[in-house]
Amino acid sequence: MGRYIARRLVQGFVVIFGVTVFVFIITRLVGDPVKFMLPLSATPEQRAERRAALGLDRSIPVQFVRFMGDLFRLDLGQSTYVRGHSALSVVFDYIPRTLQLVGLGMVFAILLSIPLGVLASRRPGGTLDRILTTLSLIGLSMPQFFLGFVLLIAFTVKLHWFESGPGPWTKNLILPALCLALPAIGRLSMVVRSSMIDELNTQYVKVAKAKGMTQRRILGVHALRNAGIPYVTLLGWEIIRALAGYTVVVESVFNWPGLGFMAKTAIQNQDFYLIQAIVFVIAVAVVVLNILIDIAYKLLDPRVDLQ
Amino acid sequence: MKKRYRLLGSLLALSLVAAACGSDSKSSSSTGSQSSGSTAASTAGSGAPDTTGTPVSGGEITIALGSEPTSLDPYLVDDGAERAINDNIYETLLSRDASGTLQPGLATALPTQTDDLTWQFKLREGVKFQDGSAFNADSVVASINRMVQLIADKKTDNDGFYSSITGAVKVDDTTVNITTAKPDGVLPARMYWLKMIPTSAEKTADLSDAPIGTGPYKFVSRTVGSDIKLEANADYWGDKPSITKVNYEFVAEGGTRLAGLKSGKYDLITNLPPQDVDQAPQSAKVQGQEHPILILDSDEGITADPNVRLALNLAVDKDAIAKQIFGGFAVPDAGQLLSPSVLGYNESISAYPYDPEKAKQLLKDAGVAGKTIELVGESGRWLNDRDLLEAVAGYWKAAGMDVKLSILEFGAYLDVLFDRTNRADAIYVSSSNDILDPDRQLSTYYQAGGIGSSNSNKDLSALIDQGRQELDPAARATTYQQAVKIAYDGAYFVWLVNNQDLYGLSTRLTWTPRVDSKLLVKEMSVTS
Repeated sequence: MGRYIARRLVQGFVVIFGVTVFVFIITRLVGDPVKFMLPLSATPEQRAERRAALGLDRSIPVQFVRFMGDLFRLDLGQSTYVRGHSALSVVFDYIPRTLQLVGLGMVFAILLSIPLGVLASRRPGGTLDRILTTLSLIGLSMPQFFLGFVLLIAFTVKLHWFESGPGPWTKNLILPALCLALPAIGRLSMVVRSSMIDELNTQYVKVAKAKGMTQRRILGVHALRNAGIPYVTLLGWEIIRALAGYTVVVESVFNWPGLGFMAKTAIQNQDFYLIQAIVFVIAVAVVVLNILIDIAYKLLDPRVDLQ
Repeated sequence: MKKRYRLLGSLLALSLVAAACGSDSKSSSSTGSQSSGSTAASTAGSGAPDTTGTPVSGGEITIALGSEPTSLDPYLVDDGAERAINDNIYETLLSRDASGTLQPGLATALPTQTDDLTWQFKLREGVKFQDGSAFNADSVVASINRMVQLIADKKTDNDGFYSSITGAVKVDDTTVNITTAKPDGVLPARMYWLKMIPTSAEKTADLSDAPIGTGPYKFVSRTVGSDIKLEANADYWGDKPSITKVNYEFVAEGGTRLAGLKSGKYDLITNLPPQDVDQAPQSAKVQGQEHPILILDSDEGITADPNVRLALNLAVDKDAIAKQIFGGFAVPDAGQLLSPSVLGYNESISAYPYDPEKAKQLLKDAGVAGKTIELVGESGRWLNDRDLLEAVAGYWKAAGMDVKLSILEFGAYLDVLFDRTNRADAIYVSSSNDILDPDRQLSTYYQAGGIGSSNSNKDLSALIDQGRQELDPAARATTYQQAVKIAYDGAYFVWLVNNQDLYGLSTRLTWTPRVDSKLLVKEMSVTS
């Protein structure tokens, strides 16, 4: 397994490197942070001077060599939007709120998807199953910007149960976490349902039934544990999806100032350095999570060959 | 064996989840330690109206700003949110009264000139910085030096304000001379803008984490992304402010700011939209510095004909725009971009009247009726910008033009505004005047070569240069009055309105907004 992990780490480095270079090229081709840094009244000369001070007047290959040199020292430059801070330090200032959001969202996803999936699997094709299947289809196909506004209007604007913006989690985090979790609940409960149906049709479950084991024990102890293998993989994927994309939408809709919120601001202000740092950190997180998922998979099912 | 692996596997799976949650709890405790006061204070803040039924001296208020400061170092950035906070921490040599007139601040009087390039300031005695060090001529020299160095290093966004300054020399402890490269009539206004720092801060790269000024409030804490807290400076040299604690929260969404104001969470919100004035518990307004205008290309294209530019002015009903688009919280711009509170305002000119018939006739006579005119703007940056642009396009269409209205994303819009080689026929911009001096606004939009200007009038350009170097305020005013008259006669712009700044106030807050839009908490008070 050690060998496998080493190989995955090497692959991971290649992915991170590729993503970083890609973002470098895209931002350099389309953007100009100086446009947004200086006041509207700054003269063309002042703008040109600032561009030169940032090294943005050089040719892209020259900038790239410098960028690579800095990257190996883990120096991703100074943010042009959050002034006087390195881009990486801005990422670490804002990432805790994103981890809180994803953490609570995944807790909701786990707590709701497993019971819903198990309930649906008890009588496949039954009324309850149909209702739950329809609900999860709605949940997983609803775009989050829409879902977010619906939740905001209902629970914040009309009912005043929650608030938007930064604040204590009981007031400000539950709603965005639910918004993040709902599509995941839809997908995860479908996986629980189908794996459970598969498991319940296996020989060992039939034997267990025949020898008089209770339904609860069959479900809880035997079937559910085996159904857990695809579930863990998918849960890992949900975390990755949330970190690498959904949080941008959810945090923007709910004004939750995490990394996704900052990513939107960085793009609006064409802050190359901050965009790069955000993408870099997220890419590292995704690579690490992927390796952890594979290891978990192996541990849950020893038949899986990681070679 | 198999079982144990499974258990391990489920543990690992759980730890995957816990990784997210674990860092969750860690981070909340770390922000918690940084802002343990923050959550406590915000609950105390929202509970405050219940507990403080008595008249409040020593009150606590919460102000909601639309954005978070990009830095708290006033030397590095030009940022409204930064100023809203730092204007209470730092002070400047000169200040302005509520109507905008320059007044002594940390200086005891307006400066005198020892020669054309040297301004002498006499300093107030007995003033201390919040770190206990004395304010004196050395601190002024340190402040000027820091700014001059930052400009030389290309590290500040404020070079437009201060690049004329060459240095400062201490004469004695309470006298300092500030020198400029050329005669600089704007210098007193600049010294109303430059915040004074202690000598210890001169070489500091970034003052953002620990702002120290001489002002009535001092910095307490900051939670990134969420709030900044100040408290009254007990050693303040001036009158003690009645409010002792100030919390700033950053709320991007206007509706959320208004909801927070209504619920009593906030005492003051900025940029209250005109359509929401009725909903605010209390509102306050002042004729501010914001002037939406359309820059017409007077050199090339369809707008090169002065009669066409005149017609484009006559075609627009500014009164209706002030009423319909800005809810009556605006007055027609008197054809000069400057507000009455700014030096150089010309009382003898007034807005072009709304005369659609004459506009139609002029356009027909010029042979451009039915031709295409491009109007470029953006949406979301300035108050009701899209509605305004669509209204103008409607008026121009009614006058017989074919209007090509482009409402662009802000970055793309800036590319058009800054394009010096291909000027668009008409570009929308909303111009503000931070330091209440005409120089910057006119050099940006009126003077040939200015980044937002679309004319090449040499007389106008010369007058603006002359105004900058004129040292006598009365003579400066006359020069600028001539300059704005030239632009008016040439109809280089379509002047639309001058907005009022609107604020939402809680019922317990007493405050009169200022023409310079500074949010000085020392001028506020709360009653029960």
